[in-house]
Amino acid sequence: MSFDQSNAPFMERLVFNNRLAVVIIFSLVSLFLGYQALQVRPDTSFAKMIPLEHPYIVNMLEHQNDLANLGNSIRIAVAIEDGDIFSTEYMETLKQINDEVFFLPGVDRSNLRSLWTPNVRWTEVTEYGFDGGPVTNHPSYTNEEDLEELRANVLKSGEIGRLVANNFKSSIIEVPLQEFYPNPDNQSELLRLDYKQFSHLLEEKIRDRFQSENPNIKIHIVGFAKKVGDLIDGLIGVVGFFGIAFVITFVLLYMFTWCIRSTVSVLVTTVIAVIWQLGLINLVGFGLDPYSMLVPFLIFAIGISHGVQKINGIALQSGGADNALVAARLTFRQLFLPGMIAILADAVGFITLLVIKIDVIHELAIGASIGVAVIVFTNLIMLPVTISYLGISKKAVERSKRDAVREHPFWRFLSNVAHPNVAPWMVIVALVAGTTCFVYQKNNIKVGDLDAGAPELRPDSRYNKDNDFIIQNYTTSSDILVVMVATPPEKCSAYETMEAIDQLQWKMQNLEGVQSAVSLVTVAKQVIMGSNEGNLKWQGLSRNQDVLNNAISRAPSGMFNAACSLAPVMVFLDDHKADTLKRATAAVEEFAAEYNTDDMEFKLAAGNAGIEAATNEIISSSELLILVLVYIWVGVMCMITFRSLPATICIVLPLILTSVLGNALMAFLGIGMKVATLPVIALGVGIGVDYGIYIYSRLESFLRQGMPLQEAYYETLRSTGKAVLFTGLCLAIGVATWIFSAIKFQADMGLMLTFMFLVNMIGAMLLLPALARFLINPEKVRKSSGSKLSH
Amino acid sequence: MRKPCNWRAPFVARTDLNASGNYLKKGFSLSALTQAVMLSGMMALGAASAHAADVAEESVQPAIKSDLAAHTLLVDAAVAGDRLVAVGSRGHIVYSDDQGKTWTQANVPVRQLLTAVYFADDKNGWAVGHDSLILHTSDAGANWEMQYRDPELDQPIDPEGPSLLERPLMDVWFKNANTGFAIGAYGTFLRTDDGGKTWEDRSYDIDNPDGFHYNAITAVKGAGLMLAGEMGTLYRSPDFGDTWETLTDLPYDGSWFGASGTSSDNVVLVWGLRGNLFRSTDFGDTWEQVELLTPNNGPLEATLLGGGLSGDGKLVVVGAGGVVLSSTDGGNSFDVMTRPDRIALASAKALGDGELLLVGQHGVATMPASALKAH
Repeated sequence: MSFDQSNAPFMERLVFNNRLAVVIIFSLVSLFLGYQALQVRPDTSFAKMIPLEHPYIVNMLEHQNDLANLGNSIRIAVAIEDGDIFSTEYMETLKQINDEVFFLPGVDRSNLRSLWTPNVRWTEVTEYGFDGGPVTNHPSYTNEEDLEELRANVLKSGEIGRLVANNFKSSIIEVPLQEFYPNPDNQSELLRLDYKQFSHLLEEKIRDRFQSENPNIKIHIVGFAKKVGDLIDGLIGVVGFFGIAFVITFVLLYMFTWCIRSTVSVLVTTVIAVIWQLGLINLVGFGLDPYSMLVPFLIFAIGISHGVQKINGIALQSGGADNALVAARLTFRQLFLPGMIAILADAVGFITLLVIKIDVIHELAIGASIGVAVIVFTNLIMLPVTISYLGISKKAVERSKRDAVREHPFWRFLSNVAHPNVAPWMVIVALVAGTTCFVYQKNNIKVGDLDAGAPELRPDSRYNKDNDFIIQNYTTSSDILVVMVATPPEKCSAYETMEAIDQLQWKMQNLEGVQSAVSLVTVAKQVIMGSNEGNLKWQGLSRNQDVLNNAISRAPSGMFNAACSLAPVMVFLDDHKADTLKRATAAVEEFAAEYNTDDMEFKLAAGNAGIEAATNEIISSSELLILVLVYIWVGVMCMITFRSLPATICIVLPLILTSVLGNALMAFLGIGMKVATLPVIALGVGIGVDYGIYIYSRLESFLRQGMPLQEAYYETLRSTGKAVLFTGLCLAIGVATWIFSAIKFQADMGLMLTFMFLVNMIGAMLLLPALARFLINPEKVRKSSGSKLSH
Repeated sequence: MRKPCNWRAPFVARTDLNASGNYLKKGFSLSALTQAVMLSGMMALGAASAHAADVAEESVQPAIKSDLAAHTLLVDAAVAGDRLVAVGSRGHIVYSDDQGKTWTQANVPVRQLLTAVYFADDKNGWAVGHDSLILHTSDAGANWEMQYRDPELDQPIDPEGPSLLERPLMDVWFKNANTGFAIGAYGTFLRTDDGGKTWEDRSYDIDNPDGFHYNAITAVKGAGLMLAGEMGTLYRSPDFGDTWETLTDLPYDGSWFGASGTSSDNVVLVWGLRGNLFRSTDFGDTWEQVELLTPNNGPLEATLLGGGLSGDGKLVVVGAGGVVLSSTDGGNSFDVMTRPDRIALASAKALGDGELLLVGQHGVATMPASALKAH
């Protein structure tokens, strides 16, 4: 071998003098991590998706056991299309569904509520006191007389708007769930509720079965368990997108290289990177949640783009090199350092995400950092080694040789952006676009989830349609802010506590965006009125403690805890827009400041709206920090690499423009600033800087050779333009498939990342050279000692 | 000064009576029953919470101004000249100068549930409510001042003693701008002769050994005052409040919630639980039940709460479940309708232009009287 090793760096000698060992080690590690990767399971732990350190959530977790009854239930609305619920057809179907639901695993059978359960009762105040009975008191409803009685009972039950629709065309089966339930085969063993399985049982045994038996019956199901089930299904659906991204990438890669050997090499090494990453996150104990699901896609895209640089380099080197090994070694020598720097930029971009104190984002950040680190091994080391064995097809080498000398009209045309007459216009366009978009996004961007219903799912998903149905036909909101009122034991019913809660409820009810507020006080007032023969003049709190104690003893479970030391106040909101949440929490905080004493504390917040309010606060406080951190880091990277402030500005300004345009796009599309879109900033900037570094390093090397700016840029484009374009496409395709995810925030992330990757690429290709026209003095570059990346 | 303890027997004695068994058969008070339940409820919750903390230190706070004031619980309405005034929960008093189209919230110094309002003339009115509150206005309801509050609330609390009794006033009536009466729970009967500057507890003027609630007081044309209460109790005062006579030949033993004179001499109506409405043409010596039939479903069973006589002799009575009754023949017969929203109504006034003003669980509402015929 005539190759001169004397000036080869240590890394290169280490890798290429032990090629076989490298291949064997990589194969063994891949086998081990592949096995690990198979163990990765979808994991949608509720706790991981909320900001655990936020005071609201700390309060919520502190009182979690006392609030247990509030959340975990599903509601099944059984609707009749033609006719109303007071018909034999409807009541019989409802009974069958009720019985079927009763036997589903995990259902808290004693607290199941529907028109057919004995705990749904009517009450009436008569001169004989409280009179009442179960709403359904016949085994079946086959004649008009019984149905008329049913109608009367329902009217007296007070369940209209809650269990029975306002238009009497549907009724609800309320199904409380037990997170842990006894194994039917072995009562002493507790099973954990499997949300996915439960959700599928609902579909098979309830919805599909009864809708197909009777087309006049429609079934709508909502509740946390159903939502989680649908999310897990959506998550699994996303796996299919990986296949699509893989196929598209394969085709593009082949069109880029015209070499099946290198195409397969790049794909295989990149898939190995993904396998390693999955294996490693399983080793550190993470699962795949809807956020970290993004990481394999990103790693795949980043891996492909680095692979492409390598193949491009090897193809160019092959023209002058004796054999594949030498070409691979030369490319390794040339690209290992810039590759490392680009990966470092990515990794640290991901690491800034750790400032968001939400576990799923932490796992995303750590998982993605691990993933890009893996790329160093797979695509920077293993890929060149593989190619050194396989070589590149003659056709591809010929092509790259031809390309290297051929005139490229397109690149020639594009290099005009560095022309003194064109560059000012480019900068002006960028400035105008930047300023307009900045002002637009400043005025229009919203924090939080903006769509009604379950924001995790698409507005037109089945779950959200079911949710709409219930909102329209029942008097309940799905956005609930829970204020926890903590007192010493036995004091939740003290007059002072009840009176203060009453004041809070009234304050909240008067707030814009609040529909109603409910607590034990609401019940107590009704019971006191009921105890006084239904006279409205008694519908107030009593100063008599015995009266209050009696009144709350009739309250449903969940209105106060067993020790009578905690009473939740449920505030029903119009929606979960950030403004609404902010207004509501601010009002409660103001109230708490005025009313809190040693014996009575008003604490925020539980309920889905409470959690979202906390999340929004975390987002608002993290957004600026992430931006600052990521830009400081990117700036530092550029300064280290190029030792030039003008160069840094040339690279960073297009990135800032992209961030601004991205925010404007979010405002335009009505995507809120939320947990899912926040990582996009860090990911977009961290990965976007690659293009700039790559282009500028080439530009600088040509300038150093004494070329004028426009010529140097033409040469830059001719040698790397194709690779840069291709990299942008690869990254965009990797995430673009997400736009079709059933999970709304994944779709939003996919859309935003696709936009960021493409616009960053365009910015680097069009704006960077135009800025260089103003900021870079070619003379100075030529005389300078040269940066780390000059070759 | 009012007597510190009420006429009603202490709880324990009540429970004994209850336990003896025959109490229930003889006739009963639901509120007594409630207290029996209450005791067991208290035991279940533990005795620690049985002591009310020191309410004495709590200051009286003014009602909060709210756009919702006219649309939450209101329980009584009155006419002051051309103005309509309604009172209800949280110290809300609202008034309307355009026959109920728009409402303004008055300045009220308290936040408790107010139960009744009465105007002695176009300007001077009184409202009563929980905590035995009595409020007065001299500007037809725009601004109110507090004249009376249960004096026991200002006494120091004995932590070992029995819990404070809630004593809401239930109705108020004024003979003129000086002399008036406020009545309420547990046999509370207050009187003023100086326009409310001082109120005297005259509970012992009326024979009510069990301390039954008084729910309504009304003037009967050409006869005197009629007082209706819990357990079918009725009292009358031929000298408009100075002396009171217990009626013994009672037509019904359930609670009365309302009473009204008519435009004819000696004719009076009382009403209460489960659609019971009785009429007397001899100031209470004899009574006759007025049959109330719903358009489709037979006899009315809803509880009747408030209402009364309007200037043109029309009578309107409303109640639970959105029931509205109206009579143009002095209460001989009533048209019965149930409003489709079925929201509980507490009181009503017939307005001059054929409209009805209704107040209840969801605040004020108006409806054309002609709608009654349609149902």
